[in-house]
Amino acid sequence: MNENQLLNVSSSPHIRDRKLTTGQVMLDVVLALMPATVFGIVRYGLHALLVILLSVLAAVLSEYLFDLIAHKKNTVKDGSAVVTGLLLALSLPPEAPLYLPILGSIFAILVVKCFFGGLGKNFLNPALTARCFLLISFGTAMTNFSVDGVSSATPLAALNAGDAVNVAKIYLGTTNGVIGGSALALLIGGLYLWAAGGITLEIPVSCIVVFTLFMGFFGEGGFAPAYLIAQICGGGLLMGAFFMATDPVTSPVTSRGHIIYGAIIGLLAGLFRVYGSSADSFSYAIIISNMFVPFIDKLPIPKPLGYKGGEYKEREFPKSAINLTVITLIAGLLLSGVYAMTKTKIEEQEIAANQESYLEVCPDAESFQYDSDLDAAVEALAGEAYDSSSFGKTYINDVLVGYNANDEIVGYVISVTSGDGFEGDITLSVGLTTDGTVIKIAFTTLNETAGMGMRVDEDAFKSQFEGVNTDAFILNKSGSSTEENEIDSVSGASTSSGAVVNAVNTALAFFAEYIG
Amino acid sequence: MSVKTFRGGIHPEGFKELSLGGPVTSYLPQGDLVFPVNQHIGKPAKPVVKKGDLVKAGQIIAEADGFVSANIVSSCSGKVKAIEERATASGTTATCIVIENDGEFSLLEGVGKKHHAGTFSNKDILDAIQRAGIVGMGGAGFPTHVKLTSKNPESIDYIIANGSECEPYITCDDRLMQNQSRGILDGLRLVLQLFPDAIGVIAIEDNKPEAIKSMEAVCAGEKGVMVQPVQAKYPEGGERNLISVVSGRDLKFGQLPADVGCIVCNVASLYAIYRACYFSEPLMKRYFTVSGDAVAHPGTFEVPIGTSYQELVEAAGGIKPDVTLKKALSGGPMMGIAMPSLSAPITKASNALTLLSEDDVELAEAQQTACIRCGRCSRVCPIHLIPQMMADAAEKKNYEQYEKRLYGLDCIACGSCTWVCPAKRPLMQLFKQAKAEILAAKRK
Repeated sequence: MNENQLLNVSSSPHIRDRKLTTGQVMLDVVLALMPATVFGIVRYGLHALLVILLSVLAAVLSEYLFDLIAHKKNTVKDGSAVVTGLLLALSLPPEAPLYLPILGSIFAILVVKCFFGGLGKNFLNPALTARCFLLISFGTAMTNFSVDGVSSATPLAALNAGDAVNVAKIYLGTTNGVIGGSALALLIGGLYLWAAGGITLEIPVSCIVVFTLFMGFFGEGGFAPAYLIAQICGGGLLMGAFFMATDPVTSPVTSRGHIIYGAIIGLLAGLFRVYGSSADSFSYAIIISNMFVPFIDKLPIPKPLGYKGGEYKEREFPKSAINLTVITLIAGLLLSGVYAMTKTKIEEQEIAANQESYLEVCPDAESFQYDSDLDAAVEALAGEAYDSSSFGKTYINDVLVGYNANDEIVGYVISVTSGDGFEGDITLSVGLTTDGTVIKIAFTTLNETAGMGMRVDEDAFKSQFEGVNTDAFILNKSGSSTEENEIDSVSGASTSSGAVVNAVNTALAFFAEYIG
Repeated sequence: MSVKTFRGGIHPEGFKELSLGGPVTSYLPQGDLVFPVNQHIGKPAKPVVKKGDLVKAGQIIAEADGFVSANIVSSCSGKVKAIEERATASGTTATCIVIENDGEFSLLEGVGKKHHAGTFSNKDILDAIQRAGIVGMGGAGFPTHVKLTSKNPESIDYIIANGSECEPYITCDDRLMQNQSRGILDGLRLVLQLFPDAIGVIAIEDNKPEAIKSMEAVCAGEKGVMVQPVQAKYPEGGERNLISVVSGRDLKFGQLPADVGCIVCNVASLYAIYRACYFSEPLMKRYFTVSGDAVAHPGTFEVPIGTSYQELVEAAGGIKPDVTLKKALSGGPMMGIAMPSLSAPITKASNALTLLSEDDVELAEAQQTACIRCGRCSRVCPIHLIPQMMADAAEKKNYEQYEKRLYGLDCIACGSCTWVCPAKRPLMQLFKQAKAEILAAKRK
C-alpha cells in the first residue's frame, strides 16, 4: 500500500445490506403482483395485456419526462413507477378503453407523485388516486365489466341485486371484475410479499378484521359466512388491503400506527359499502385514510427498550385516539350522509334524464314521480327475483307514477330486468294504464344476438303487447297466435322472447299485487 | 438449553470463517510500539517515564489520573523514544508514549509468574485489576476496576460474561473462549467473589459451537455459573440487549447496568483479570482478529498492545496483490472506526482490524433514494426506536423532538437501521451528529 494514499473514512456502519435497495423493494411488489397479473392476462386475453403494458409504460415515461423537464435526478430506476403503473392496470376493467391506463398513469405519476415532490413525498397512493380520478371522470368505462361485449354484473353488483353468489367463483376470480381481481392470486401475492419482508401484516389484518366485523353487524347479510367471504374476496378488498393500503409511503410508520390505520380503512370501507352508493368503497376508504397518516404519525411512539412500564406515562394517547376515532366517524358519516341527502336530488335528475324513455311508454304523463309505498314494495324485494318459479330471474328495478298536468295519475312505468336473456341481462320499461293495460314496452338494456335476439326490439314483436289487458302473456313459439294475450316468438330467438315475456309478466304481477 | 434473543436486530453475513482457521499466532512486533495515554474512558493517564528512559515489558509507563482512569503498561522492553502527539485509530491525535522496541520483550521482575494459586481478598482482586490497567476489551474501554467497585455489591444479581461477538469478521473472543476457557472461568469466579449474591452467565452466540462446548466443559458442575447460548444476531452482544436477554431487565439512556443489578464483562476482560490476579500480569497483550476480503491471510493473533496496524497487516500476509485496499477499520464493519491510514497502534479496547476492498458506503451514496417510509429501520432497531422519524427530526435539527418524543439519545449507534435501509440513507451519521450536538448543548 502506498503510504501517502489515504483510505476511505466514513461514519459507521461500513457495510450495507446490498440485496436490499429501493429497486429491490419495488421488484418484490411487482413479483407479488405477478400471480394476479398472469391470471388477468390468461383470463381476459390480449386486451388486458395491452392495458397493463400501456399503463406501466405511461407511468415510467411520465416520470422520466418529468425528471428531464424539471432537471431532476432520473428516478425511474427506483422502480416505483412500474409498481404504480401495474397496480393501476390491475384495478382497471379488462376491456377498459386504452386511453384509461394512459391517462390514469400520467395522472398518478405527474399529479399525485411528482408534483408533491416525488417518491416518498406523495401523501396519497398514486395508483389508487388515479383509479378514483378515472372512476369520477370516466364512470361508465370504469364500471363496464363486459367481456367480449357480454355484460354481467360484478360479484358485488350482483350481490346487491341479490344474485346467488358463487363464493368459489369470486375466490378464484372467474367472475367478471378488474384485471387483477382474482382473490386467490392476490392472496398468494400478498403472502409472498409478507414472507419477503415487503409488508407486515398489521395493516391487512386490522383492516380486514374491522371491515368483516362491520359488515357482520351492519351489512344486510349479517354474519352469514358466504356473504362475508363474498364481501372480503370481492370489491377490491384484497388488492386494497395487501397492495394499496400497505404502500409504505402513504401509510404510518409504527406498528401501532399500522393497526389504527388499517382499522380506519376497514371502518370507512364498511360504512361506504353499507350506506354508500358504490361497491368501490375500498378505493375511497384508503384514499381518505391516507390523509389521516400524518396525524397517526403524530401519536406517541411506542416505548423503546427500558421505558416499558417505566416512569413515562402515556397520557396523550387515549385523547388522540378518541379524537381520531371521532373524526373518522364524522368524516365517514358525512360522506355517507351526503349520499343520503343527495339521493332525492339524484332521483329527480334520474327521472328527468329518463323522462324521454318514460314518456315513450307512458305518453299521456306530464311528469313522473316515485311513490314511497311502491318504493318500499320494491325495497322489500331486497333484490330477490320477483317470483322465480313463474318468471325465472326477473327483478323489479323501479316503479314510477305518471301524472298529467292536473296532478292526476295517468299511468305507471315499471322497469324490470330479466337475467335470462340469451346473452345476459335484458332490462325494459313497461308502461301501464291505471287499469293495468299495457301501453307500450321499451328496452333500456339489450345485448342479445344481432339479427336474432336483438329482433325483440322490432315493433313487430313489441307491438304485440300494446293495448292488451291481461293477467299474463303467453309465448307462442309456433308463431301462430290467436289469443290477444299470446305473443309470437321472434323466430329462432325463443330464449330472448321468453325473457321479454317473463319481464313484462313480472311487471303485470307487480301491478296486480301492489297497484291494481 | 434454549437459545434466547431480543426483538429486532439484523443478520449481516458473518465472514467468521475467514479468520477461524489455523492456530492463534503469537506475534512479536519488530518496530516501535506506541501507547496513547487516552485508550480508555475517563481521564487520560499521566506519563511517568521520559524520553530516553529504559523500560521493561510489564512496566507502568503512564499512571491513572484519578479513579476513573487506567494505568498504561509497556508491552515491550526498550527505550522511550518520544512522548508526542500522534494519530490514533479514532482519527484524532493524542499524547502517545513511543517505545523503541529492543526486540527482547524482557519482562519486569515478577510479571507473568504464577505466584498464587490460593485465595484472594476482594481488595487484592480490585487492586490487581487496577494496577494491571484493565479496561473493557470489547470496544468500550471503560476501566474495569471502576465497574467492579460497588457500594452495594449485594444489589448485583448477574455477572454477564459477554461472549456474543456479533460483529461480522471478528473471531478473537471466539478463539479466546476455545483456547482459554479455564482462565475466563477463573476470571469470572474472581468477579463473582466481589458480588456475593450474583450468578455468572456466560452468554455466547449459537454460531460459536466450539466456544460453547469448551466453556460448557469447564463450567460443568460449577455452582452459580452457567453458559447461556443466545441467537447469532447483530447486535446480540450490545450491552443493553444482552442484559435484557439474560436478565429480562431493560436499561435506558443514562442508566448503568448496575442500576438493574447487572454487570457485563467481555470474556477478554475476564481473562485479563485472571492473568492479573494469578500471574501479576498487567494488560499488555490481547487476542486480535485481522480479517476482511483485502488481506492475504486473515487470522487471529495474540499481539502486544501498542503494535502498529501496518505491522499486523504485514504479519497477516499483507494486502492481496490483486485488490486495492479501500477501507481499514479498527473493529468490525458495523461499529468499527474507519482509519485514514494504518499508522495507528492497537489499543487495549481494539479487537480487530477489518480490511475491505469495497466500500459499501460509497456504493450506498450512489444508490441513495428518497425514504419510502418502509419501516424496516424500526423493525430492526434493537432499542425499538423509530429511526425514520429520528432522521427526519435530526435533518431538521428539531432536537427537542429528537430527544423527548423519539428517545433519540437512547440510540446505541449499532447501525442496524443504516445497514437495512433500502433507500441507503446515512441514518447513523445523522444520529451521531444529533447526539453529539444535544449532549454538547447540555454540557453548556
